[in-house]
Amino acid sequence: MDPIFLIASAVALASAVNMVTQRNPVYSAVFLLVGFLAVAVTFLSLSAPFLAAIHVVVYTGAIMVLFLFVIMLLNLKPEELGAEYPIETRAPIAVLCAAMFGMMSWAILSDPSLAIPAKAPNATWGSVEEVGLLLFNVYALPFELISLLIIVAMFGALVLAKKRLSNVEATS
Amino acid sequence: MISYYLLFAAALFSIGAYGVLARRNVLIILMSLELMLNGVNIVFVALSLVPHGVQMAPGGHVFVLMVMAVAAAEVAVGLAIVIALFRTRQTVDINDLQMMSG
Repeated sequence: MDPIFLIASAVALASAVNMVTQRNPVYSAVFLLVGFLAVAVTFLSLSAPFLAAIHVVVYTGAIMVLFLFVIMLLNLKPEELGAEYPIETRAPIAVLCAAMFGMMSWAILSDPSLAIPAKAPNATWGSVEEVGLLLFNVYALPFELISLLIIVAMFGALVLAKKRLSNVEATS
Repeated sequence: MISYYLLFAAALFSIGAYGVLARRNVLIILMSLELMLNGVNIVFVALSLVPHGVQMAPGGHVFVLMVMAVAAAEVAVGLAIVIALFRTRQTVDINDLQMMSG
């Protein structure tokens, strides 16, 4: 059992629980940041160094900055955060999610083909070279389609978030 | 053991699902969604280590990259919708955002 994985998963799970229970979205975002870094360490212990680096860059670098930027832009006051569900509503949901976790862990633990050590087959497993060769040969078409998706998402975000021009003209 | 990594991923996914279902702040719902996608990513990477034949290639890693790209696009569009909604309705509570429920 990898001690690095034990520590990283404990940190990730603790910060995930804290994230979903915090009332203020800024605290949630900071806990999510810690959780993302711990997940990156988990990738390292699964011998995926390239993915660990990309995970840090994309999640903590881009997505969290976007979240914190939007939280800052909305500038929510404590009374604007809105009410949360009462405990009578949240407890059944928690039980439901725990039952889902129970079913998944039963399926995972009862499969003998998964009870093998997480060992990389060779020394260059998950390196930039190996993943890049796959990405630009076997998976070249999905890779190109992803770039299309990102362009569409960029235009969509621009159109959705921009101020309506007619409103600006009406107020000025 | 690969199954421990899968258990960890299942726990992350379940906590994220709880966040999506039990919270009403739309920002925290989007963050919980990211957590669920992270759990899926760990499953992809862990299962790519399961031996299945003579030639093993990290194809699961490529799909993690795709999931990351989709997650980034989803967050960009989702947060843009949040900004547009907050501009028109001054709320981030999903129970106040029911104008499409007929």
